[in-house]
Order: sequence, then C-alpha cells, then structure tokens
Amino acid sequence: MRPGTGKHADELTVRKLFRKTRFGFFSLFAVVVLAISALSIRTVSRELRDEYISNSESIAKNIADSSVDILLNRNLATLQSLIDQFVQIQSIRYIYITSDTGEFLAHTFVPGIPEQILASDPTATEPVDRSIAGMGDFVEVGSPILSGVAGTVHVGMDLETLGLKIRRAMGQQIALLCIILVVGVLASIWLVNLASKPLTDLLGYVAQLARARAGDESPDEAVLVRDDEVGDMARLIRFAAAPPEDSGERAGSRG
Amino acid sequence: MLALWSLRSRKFDRPFLDPSIDLETILVKTSNGGGGRKGVSGYRGRGISRRSMIRSGLAAVLGAPLAGRLSATTVFGPFFRGPVRQDQIVLGVSAAFSGPSRALGTELYRGSMAYFNQVNENGGVNGRRVVLKLLDDGYQPDPCVANTIELMQDESVFLLFNYVGTPTVTRALPVLKKFRDQQFYLFFPFTGAEPQREPPYGEYAFNLRASYRQETAGLVNNFLDIGRRRVAVFYQNDAYGRSGWAGVREALAAHGETIAGEATYTRGTQFGTSMRAAVEILQSRSPDAVICIGAYQACAAFARDAEILGLHIPVANVSFVGSENLLGLMRENHEDPDSHTRWLVNSQVVPSYEDVSLPAVREYHDAMERYNPPPPTTGQVDRIAEGEPYETVPRSFVSLEGFVNAKMITEIIRRMGDRPERSGIEEAVFQVRNYDLGVGERVRYGPNRRQGLQTVYYTVPEGDRFVALDDWEARFGLS
Repeated sequence: MRPGTGKHADELTVRKLFRKTRFGFFSLFAVVVLAISALSIRTVSRELRDEYISNSESIAKNIADSSVDILLNRNLATLQSLIDQFVQIQSIRYIYITSDTGEFLAHTFVPGIPEQILASDPTATEPVDRSIAGMGDFVEVGSPILSGVAGTVHVGMDLETLGLKIRRAMGQQIALLCIILVVGVLASIWLVNLASKPLTDLLGYVAQLARARAGDESPDEAVLVRDDEVGDMARLIRFAAAPPEDSGERAGSRG
Repeated sequence: MLALWSLRSRKFDRPFLDPSIDLETILVKTSNGGGGRKGVSGYRGRGISRRSMIRSGLAAVLGAPLAGRLSATTVFGPFFRGPVRQDQIVLGVSAAFSGPSRALGTELYRGSMAYFNQVNENGGVNGRRVVLKLLDDGYQPDPCVANTIELMQDESVFLLFNYVGTPTVTRALPVLKKFRDQQFYLFFPFTGAEPQREPPYGEYAFNLRASYRQETAGLVNNFLDIGRRRVAVFYQNDAYGRSGWAGVREALAAHGETIAGEATYTRGTQFGTSMRAAVEILQSRSPDAVICIGAYQACAAFARDAEILGLHIPVANVSFVGSENLLGLMRENHEDPDSHTRWLVNSQVVPSYEDVSLPAVREYHDAMERYNPPPPTTGQVDRIAEGEPYETVPRSFVSLEGFVNAKMITEIIRRMGDRPERSGIEEAVFQVRNYDLGVGERVRYGPNRRQGLQTVYYTVPEGDRFVALDDWEARFGLS
C-alpha cells in the first residue's frame, strides 16, 4: 500500500495550507496579464495610429507631388481622376484639394462638402481629428502642393477602420494572454498539488498511526522510508507517539 | 490541315447562320478572362500571324465562292485575336453596354452602325468593310483600361473609336501614351472633357464634338444674360463631373461670379435613388439655375426631386446626359408629365435630329429607318444582365452623334487610300480642313486643332422630345 492511500486517507488532503498559495498564483498571473494587456493596448493603439497617420501623410504627399503639373495645366478632371483612385484604398474616406486661396478644386464628398470641412483652415497640414455628422470620425492630414503656393491636399482616414484594426490587434494579444493565464493557472494547480502530495501522505500516516493506537489497524509505514523532510517528520511523529518505554529502548538502541 | 481548317471554319461561321447577329460586329466579350498577347503590332506589314497567312492561302486555294463567304462572314470567338485582313478595317470600341449608363453606349453604337451598314452595303471604304470590335466597360474606369490594352494587343484593330465617358477615357489615355510607338489614336470619344484635348494626352485623341467647357460656358452665358446669376452645379463625383464643374467655374469667373452652390452624386446612381439631400444642399444656397453634369438616371432623379421639393429653377444638362432617356424617365408614370419637365434645358453637340433641313440629319433618318440597328446582345457583349431588356430609342441626339462620328471616321479612312497605315492617320486627319459633314458646320482639323466641331445647341422638352430653344428670356426669364 502506498503512503496516504490507505483507508480514510483520501479524506485527509491538504486543502487549506495551499489555498493562499493558489490564490497568490492566480493573482500574480492576473496582474501580469492585465499589466501586459494594458501596455500592449497602449502600444498597439499608439503605434497603429502613428502608422496610420504616417501612411496618410505619405498618400497626401504622393497626391501633392502628382498634382503639380495637373494643377498648373488646370486639368481638374485628371486631378479628380487621380484622387478617385486613391480613395479606393481601404480606410481613406475622403480627399479634397484646396487652392492657395482656399477654393475647393476637387473632392470626393457626396452629396456635398460638410460644413465642418468648409469652415476649416484649407492650408492646415497638421493631423487633426474630425467628427463629421453622418460620416463618422476621422483623422485628417494635409500636404502642401509646391510648398503650398499651388494648394494643399487633405486626406481623411477613417478612425472607425483604425479602431477596428486596434481592436483586432488587441483582441489577438488578449486572447494569447488569456490562453497563457489559463495554462498558468492549470500549471500552478498541478504544481501545488505536486508540492502538497508528501504532506498529504504524512497526514495520512499520522491518521493511520492514530487509528493504530486505537487498535483499529496497523499504519502503512512506507512514508517512514522517505529521505526528505516528510520522512523525518513521519519518523519524529512515530517517535513522539510511541509509549515512553519504547522511546527509551529506541533511544538506548540508537546510543 | 485542310480538314482542320474546315472544322475551324464551320465552328467560327456557325453564329452567322443566325440572322439576328450583326455581321459587321466582331463578337467579343469583355477583357475579363481574355488572354493577352504580348506586345502591340502595327496594322499593316507587321505582326501578320501565321494563322492569317495560312487562312489567306487556303482561301485562295479553296476558290472564290468559299473564300468569299469566309472573308465576308468570319466571326471570332470570345478571345480570338483577329488577323489583319485586307477586306476589312476594324475599329476597337470600349463603351458602356451594361449598367445604368448603357443607353449611352448602346445608342452611340446604333447610330454608328446605321452609317457603317450603309457604307458596307455599298462596298465599304476603299473596298474594306468597316467592322467594330466591341468590349463592354460598364462605364467603369478599370475595365476600360483593361479593354484598351486588349484592343491594342489585337493586331486587327486599326484605331480606337466611340469610347463613352470621361472617367473611362481619362484612364485609357495613359495607355495610349504608353504604347505611343504603335500610333494608336482614339477617335471621337463621347465626352467633352479636357484631358483628351490638352497636354499631355491631347495628341493621342481626335474629338469631333464640342467640349464640356464650351457647353457649360454657353449655358452659363445664357443664364447670366437673362439675369440668373446664381448658378449652382449638381455633378457626378468623378472626372466627368469635375470637368463640367471646372467649365462652369471658369465661365462664371469670366463674369466675376462664382459657383453659388454644389452637390454631388456617385457614379452609377439609379433613377430610384432619392436626391433629396442634394436638392436641399442647393436649395440652401438659393440658386437661380442649376447645371447638372451627370448621366440620365441620376439627373432625372435630381430634376424629379427638385420639382417635388419646390426648387423651381432651370435645371440644365450637358450633352452626355442622354436627353431622350432622361426625358423618358421623367415622363414615366405621370398624368401630367410636362409639368415635371418644364424647367429642363439641355445643351447638345449635334443639331436636333428633327432638323431635316440638314443633309446629315436626313441621312440619319433614312439609315436609322432602314437598318434600325439592334443593341448589342448578351451573346455579343458580355455582362449585359439577363432579364434587363433595353428598349431602343428610335432617334436621339446620342445616336445622331454616333452617326456623324461614323461618317467622319469613314471619311478619314477613305482619305488614307487603299493601304491604310496607322502612321498615316494623323496626316489624313489634318487633311480635313473644310469638310462638310452635313450638320451645318464645316469640320476642320489641324496640329493645334484636334476637335472638329465647335457648335453647341440648346434644347428644351416639348412633349416627349427635345426641340431647339430660341428664346431664353421667354422660357426662363425671371420676370
């Protein structure tokens, strides 16, 4: 019979002793997961937004560079054709080109240019967040054409799409962290059980020893052969539990 | 080999046993799925394929009756690259034969075919039959680019003809420039936009019709003359709309005015779509007149909603709109249709098809009556949706334009003699200095004049047709 597996031994498991340990493990994992999630959300959000703005600026600059000759030739149909091609790129929601005097030379708005855009500074090139009624939320960047003397290109990127990308990236990261959390918790349970098993055996032995004194059964002494602290403790308990004469004999025989 | 040839001939000839198929149209599908031969070959003396040489030789061997039949009726499969043939001249067409603007491509084609049928019946041009190779682009830029490449890769195609629309043509022009060494030219696109009239692409196209700049300037000037100074624009939000918008802007600027208000719609919008938002935007600017730069479905929807919302001011359309189709939509299901069209005024780039005092119009009447060309069918041009029958218009400004386009290109090819080459096209066009097309204005081309006609006509609805507008003040005056 294996230690701690005798009669009634299954009733004597170490539950309370590691409860706090388990709770500590869970808490630690949760804190790590939450901290990593928060950090990655912040990083992903910031980096995606920066990349988004950077792409928008590249597109705006590209259009601005391509527009010079077209504008100087007064060929607004070709200019419109140019921006129509760019607006097919996912996440670009609108493009408009203003002249050096602020006149709207070409745009992609339907059915009309929103009042908020009409009221904005047509020469501004810094990224600006816009919330346009009926259209959504956007980050708008600008790029001057011929250093601004020929006009300015404005590109509006859909924040909804950006938000979707951020949420998707965050979702993937959080899913990974959750998997790590679950695996970690399961591993901690297994490890705690592994650590508590010798104590369970000891507890079982002590219980059997107590029942042996009552004459019910003889204890399974397998735990006494262990060469670890549990074995030492089992031997000490048996010594302590033995009648005084037995103790003296044992002490004499040892001496 | 003779057996193989016979088999192939039967296969290709079979469609011509069906009398409903137009013999003068090479039946092709769109570029989708069409393989591409690398490179572009010249029309004559270059790129004659082994297949065409074998075919010519066999035709000679087989004797006159069969050879004659083959040469007159050869039809090519969907992705066949046609050989150069001495008895025909192939014009490549990419146009809207499907979608919301298909009436434009279809009527332009019908008008041209009425003339070409007549020419071919009389022996062709210098002994060559005029044949159209049709590809459908649905009035969409990307298919048009693909179609243009496919047409230019087909060594049988001599020149490009009758393209429809600004957004399509604007995107096709760079393809012409890319293959400029092949000397392909685009003739008489159905658009008045500037890109094919100005550098850097103007040298690859020849126009017949007046430009949108001329049309919009005429409309603006007439409105200003009668005191309607606040002119707004409703336009298709693409290269076509922008071209017209720019024309209006420029014309107003010449009088010290600016555009009073503007609203847009998306290309492909159907008549059933509400244009309330666009009308309300313009209403808020209190315009005296609106110039629409669009296609018939959207412009008819706008005019309908303007009437419903009480915007009772002149609503002008430029020639591209397709006047008869627009009028047809606006008159549909109305007990008093005239009340809904009272404010319409359309500019045209050809004279009224009712003006039989003009020789070209009389010819047009006769040819349309005699041949009544059917629209291209599903079997002829791909992507015409089943269950979407097109009802032809007996006479229209668009088909008249197609007719005069065909007449003019026939004259140019005729001037190139028995052995036309692409390298001689430009010279042949520049020889046209005072040609009487029969429309009341003589056609003139030159190195700095790549547009043959300059006149703009103004028309208003009268019942179910458009008639000339003589008195702007009486019709649209403010008093």
